[in-house]
Amino acid sequence: MRSEYPISRGRPRAIESRRTITLILLGAFALSLLGIDWSEGVFRPRGVSAIGETLGAFIRPDLSPDLLRTAAAAAWQTAVYAVAGLTVALLIGIPLGVVASGTIARSRLGAVTQIGAARAVLAFFRAIHELVWALLLVAAIGLSPMAAVLALGIPYGGILGRIYSELLQDVPQAPLDALRRSGASEWRVFLFGRLPMALPDMVSYTFYRLECGIRSAAVLGWVGLGGLGFQVQIALEDLAYSRVWTFLWALVVMVVLVDLWSSQVRRRLAP
Amino acid sequence: MNPAPTAAYVSGSGRPRLTFVSGSVLVMLALMLTAWTYIVFGQSWPSHGFFSGETASRAWSFLGDLAGAGREGTPAYLDGAEWAEAGRLALVTLAMSVLAAGIAAMGALLTFMFAARNVMAGELAPYRSPVWTAWFGVVRLGYALSRSVPELIWAMLLVFIFSPGILPGALALAIHNFGILGKLTAEVVEGLDTRPARALRTSGAGWFQVIAYAILPAALPRFITYLFYRWEVIIRTTIVVGLVAAGGLGMEFRISLSHFHYTTVTLLLIWYLLLVLGVDLASAAMRRLAR
Repeated sequence: MRSEYPISRGRPRAIESRRTITLILLGAFALSLLGIDWSEGVFRPRGVSAIGETLGAFIRPDLSPDLLRTAAAAAWQTAVYAVAGLTVALLIGIPLGVVASGTIARSRLGAVTQIGAARAVLAFFRAIHELVWALLLVAAIGLSPMAAVLALGIPYGGILGRIYSELLQDVPQAPLDALRRSGASEWRVFLFGRLPMALPDMVSYTFYRLECGIRSAAVLGWVGLGGLGFQVQIALEDLAYSRVWTFLWALVVMVVLVDLWSSQVRRRLAP
Repeated sequence: MNPAPTAAYVSGSGRPRLTFVSGSVLVMLALMLTAWTYIVFGQSWPSHGFFSGETASRAWSFLGDLAGAGREGTPAYLDGAEWAEAGRLALVTLAMSVLAAGIAAMGALLTFMFAARNVMAGELAPYRSPVWTAWFGVVRLGYALSRSVPELIWAMLLVFIFSPGILPGALALAIHNFGILGKLTAEVVEGLDTRPARALRTSGAGWFQVIAYAILPAALPRFITYLFYRWEVIIRTTIVVGLVAAGGLGMEFRISLSHFHYTTVTLLLIWYLLLVLGVDLASAAMRRLAR
């Protein structure tokens, strides 16, 4: 029996590349193990007993009413940072995302310049972690709530902008062409075609980011800006693990609640 | 070609209808307003006057400090020896990120099958028993717990247990990403086409064989993609974990900042950005290879 197609020799390409990936992953992991300083022992002198204390407090956090009130106040402050930071992120992400999608440019050259410039700015914003932004902003403008809000808003704006630009680019083209043929200007095509089609996904992603924002806002407390992270740090300085876990449980509950809310929203927005 | 209109912006009656989604958007807007009111007028803050010339001039002089204005001697970011030293720290940071991604991947690989509803309690489950359903719940709860606590806080806890270095930082990153990676991969399994698995089952394959030959091969490519995406996030976070866990660029960053060695801060930021860029490119290349 003769085949019209040449019989490929050797293993299929997909299997070859899987092998390469496996080798690279294992090799990189083995190399990185060399980076650990094994000479001083893995555990601290009293580290093993600290495991027991941490686990014990995890099951039995300190639930005295006073502490719960402190935890509620800290949770509220964390939520305030998260939500206000998300506002800043929207103020950065929407305009830059629209420009970075290159969809409102008049010419091809204009589109290329706009995409390149806006993408570079967005990439820079999100390359630096929010806590590094917080350290830099506190050094620059002092210990003010605005430092926390901006520290959260800048990298989140970078992420939102990139995702928004991709969503705006990926809408189906046929309805846009229909609008163009009926004489709509590029602005109107954007406003009445592109935006309404991309909006559900944009809203969905923003709600997902709110969940991440709560976690990030809790961490910002570490630089001294208040909230759950700050309380955890204070409790850890006293080695009071039961208090640490009170605040951590508050964080877990808050994140799970926001997660439930945002996943309900996203489920309803899914196509 | 039209996407299905969603209730969010198309209403039947001609005037906007309050749905769960539009209600949620309204709640979000109200929350934003409340948060800003609290920040601007809140009694618990000392008054700062953020929108003032003073803030602008302080920020401007900080930028000058970073560039090394008004400081004698070569700034650190033009000094070859300082570059080499920071480069060594960057390498350690890179090792920390790979270690973290590797440990998280191993943890997720060992558990994700138990976190998929269809494998444990749905159509692919060999026995419909409460034990399996409970085990599913336990693994899912573990994922939720590990990813709800941010990396930095895991690191703060782990530095009391492990000797300082890259290990506590890598473990902290690994714990957090284990929860994320596990959940994402379990959701991939839940979304898989189950026909190959059921075909194997009807031809007599056992639970383990179904997992090994029908589910794993279908889920692993997505797992690899997620792993590389998480690696991009991990490298951005290594510096943060290093702040408390005494490893890599993070520790040096914190020391330089508190000693006002601002040009060193600039150098470390340059290395950090190079690392982030390099990992983004490497991850994109690997994801292409995996496709």
